[in-house]
Amino acid sequence: MLTEVKNQIKVSFLSIKYALLREMLNKTTFITNVIFMILNNASMIVQWIILYSLKENVGGYTFKQILLLWGIAAGTFGVSRFFFSKAFSLADTINSGKLDAYLVQPKNVLLSVITSEVEVSALGDILYAYIMLFIYGFTLPTFLLFTMFCIGGGIILTAISIILSSLSFWFQKTDVIADTGNRLLTSFATYPDGIFKGLAKILLFTLIPVGIVNYIPVDILSNFNLGLTGIFLFATFLLITLAAFIFYKGLKRYSSSNLMNARI
Amino acid sequence: MKKYWFIYKSEVMSDLQYIFNLLVGFISYLILIYIFLNLWNYMYDDPTQVINGYTKNQMIWYVIITEILWMTVGGRKLCRKICDDVKGGNIAYNINKPYSYIGYALSSHLGGCTVKAIMFTILGMITGIIFIGEFPKLTILSCIMVLITALLATIINTLLIIFVGLISFFIEDANPFYWLYSKFILVLGTIFPIEYFPSIMQPILIYSPIYVVSYGPAKLFVDFSWEKCLFIIIAQIAYIIIAYLLCRLLYKKGVKRLNVNGG
Repeated sequence: MLTEVKNQIKVSFLSIKYALLREMLNKTTFITNVIFMILNNASMIVQWIILYSLKENVGGYTFKQILLLWGIAAGTFGVSRFFFSKAFSLADTINSGKLDAYLVQPKNVLLSVITSEVEVSALGDILYAYIMLFIYGFTLPTFLLFTMFCIGGGIILTAISIILSSLSFWFQKTDVIADTGNRLLTSFATYPDGIFKGLAKILLFTLIPVGIVNYIPVDILSNFNLGLTGIFLFATFLLITLAAFIFYKGLKRYSSSNLMNARI
Repeated sequence: MKKYWFIYKSEVMSDLQYIFNLLVGFISYLILIYIFLNLWNYMYDDPTQVINGYTKNQMIWYVIITEILWMTVGGRKLCRKICDDVKGGNIAYNINKPYSYIGYALSSHLGGCTVKAIMFTILGMITGIIFIGEFPKLTILSCIMVLITALLATIINTLLIIFVGLISFFIEDANPFYWLYSKFILVLGTIFPIEYFPSIMQPILIYSPIYVVSYGPAKLFVDFSWEKCLFIIIAQIAYIIIAYLLCRLLYKKGVKRLNVNGG
């Protein structure tokens, strides 16, 4: 069992490695993608400089905490889009019957699909996340916790996308639902929870788990709390299990479109 | 001109067939407006407070208008299409056609924007009235002028995105340049009016594309004046001419470097 898991992880990393090597064929494009993504993220700091010139505290966050929130948001987004890029176009893969190529492989279907592509610009997001951490204040425990939150948060974002995309096994046009869900998670991620009230705040910690992916990590990194760390890890584990369960349940209903294509 | 009108019409007709696809855009728009509504509710202590010349309601209307302009254009798709045309060699099919590629890209994209613009405007106005409760004081004539500036803003924005897309003649993937362009417009022109920036930056921003692409129409909507309207329209016409000439120049230079393999 353990050897099987080890093998699967090795295959997934190899898949990511070769996908990355394919993207690196054109070095100029590769480098511009990464650097411009860092600049793209950095430009949003202007918004917060202006808002903090109007008020000392926005939504209960100091300026440094906002930078940390941006770091977590970029890190989780980067991890999900770099390592599991295909999870965000899974609905289209299912709808167009392109899963065939993965079904014949003697490995885990879900992992094979979601690790088959990488989004190069997401590397810029990951680098930007660590730049934000260095500005916030670097210590070894913070670095380790930050890395754990970026990986865990990235996995949560991927799991949610898999759950929403898997609806395509049962219903038509669910790519709209998956796109909306993914957009909801990224749109709220860079704004402090203190500006939202009532039902919106409850939703951000439940149905749209931006609170678990972004706000709880910022809270823990500012003031360590073992209980909240436990909640974060439990939510990560729960969503992975749920995503795998729903995907494989739906996979039984999958029908091929007899599409001829080659994976190179 | 007739051929571009035909391309425009075909694109409008095609968009009407796939109106359901606009749903994601609508939801994204509503999410953004909801976030900004909460943000400005938090930033303003009371509705009568004025920050940098804007009341809370004016700020929310400003964002509603700039977001309509931004979401209508949907520049990412246009830039990606031009990059793919250049990278994939599709552009070769356009070279020998009796129209200019820039004219084709512009008319086809404006066709795609028309249905979105109408739908987003209706949605934006309803959202604004529901959340804010009052409509800015505008006469019918000033409403028409706002619509004209919004149309010119869309044309300029499309031309500038075509220009960014054409960079792919030189570096293959121009999408990263589009990210920077979009953030430039978003941060400096969509989220805040020019008056929010330090006084040293304001004269620079007035001459930048931000003034004609997003600030101009939104400012007229929340605080209309004929003097400002005239200045904005003159600046927009100048920008259209400059942006079109720049696109032609870049296309002319780029197409000479084009090397398409048959297939």
